[in-house]
Amino acid sequence: MSKKNSVFDGLFGDNTVLSSLMVISPVIMCGDKVKNALALIYAFSAITFISVLIGSFVPKKLPYAVKITIYAFISSLVYIPVKLMAQQFFPTVINRTGIYFMLLAVNSLIMVQTETKFYRMKKSRMFFSLIFYILGFDVVMLITSVLRELIAYGTVYEKVVDADILISGIGMPFGGFVFLGLFCGLYRKIRFIVRQRNGGKKNVSGN
Amino acid sequence: MFLVTELILLLTSNLILTQALGTSTLFIAAGNRKNLFWTSVTITIFTTAGSAAAYFINDIIPLGAENLMPLFYAMAVGTLYIVLLTILYFVSRKNFKTARKYVHLSAFNCAVMGTLFTITEKVAENHQLNTMSGFILAGLEAGLGFILASLILTSAYRRLTSADVPASFRGFPAMLLYLGIISMAVYALS
Repeated sequence: MSKKNSVFDGLFGDNTVLSSLMVISPVIMCGDKVKNALALIYAFSAITFISVLIGSFVPKKLPYAVKITIYAFISSLVYIPVKLMAQQFFPTVINRTGIYFMLLAVNSLIMVQTETKFYRMKKSRMFFSLIFYILGFDVVMLITSVLRELIAYGTVYEKVVDADILISGIGMPFGGFVFLGLFCGLYRKIRFIVRQRNGGKKNVSGN
Repeated sequence: MFLVTELILLLTSNLILTQALGTSTLFIAAGNRKNLFWTSVTITIFTTAGSAAAYFINDIIPLGAENLMPLFYAMAVGTLYIVLLTILYFVSRKNFKTARKYVHLSAFNCAVMGTLFTITEKVAENHQLNTMSGFILAGLEAGLGFILASLILTSAYRRLTSADVPASFRGFPAMLLYLGIISMAVYALS
């Protein structure tokens, strides 16, 4: 991977959850079941994508604190139709996800990354980069929920799977911390190997 | 004995250890003791003042319009954010540049917004808590919980980021595992 940032960085090289440790509380608390994960993936993707796009029209000359407050206002407005739709698609899950669903309205990708990353890019580049940062969260949330549900409850999407050993603690919040810590370590190791291999290839081609 | 009981209560109701709220902010601030102290203080100010605002907001929001809650809370926290920055600017222009970063870091993070949502959820279950003092105390407790969690993390920070930890796990992954173990102990206490 080159040092120059790529639009795909959000998916692997600079993953929202595993690299920057942003939006980790929903992954830890609600990432124990695939059904929860799908509802949160839908909400996160919709709220973040629409809010960041609308927020890009906020005048850049405004003071930082005012801009951040406006972004929070926009995303909280976007949250309303997203929540109403979610009540139709995921009626049972919404209560289970509780405050974590609401917290997506003020997630770090909107509150922090907009000013430090997205709004410094050209609109077209921002559009694609944003999609991959959102996908970065979605993929981690999905993988985490599938594995945690399988290990903790012996099910996947609430369908019983033939699992011999169950570790119910993985479904608890502390299990979420431990699982995410291990996942994060594994991700770093893989990223290191991939970067080393790509760097090696470059050297070889350079020679 | 009273202090021990209070400490256990503070641990078992800790938003970071039991609900993973504000974890990323804690990790960002953990690198420097001064940063951690001021971030914790600023978050406590936000959770306490924000909770007081939430008490009034809950009165305004009509029944069945709970979807408006994030909007009103975001407006309240946004107002607090701007007011706090303005106060800092006029009180000490010399230290404003240093102090404002803590305000920026604390305003819209999960610890603050999550506290407001959690308190409201608790009040919905137990109406006796629906008093101004109840909200302020719960907000203060959440802030103190953040300070406690920061102290727990700071005590192990050097070891978790030392060269003895394998490179892939050094820093954030090790901190997550460490918090997981502490969270497990807190779960056992509760």
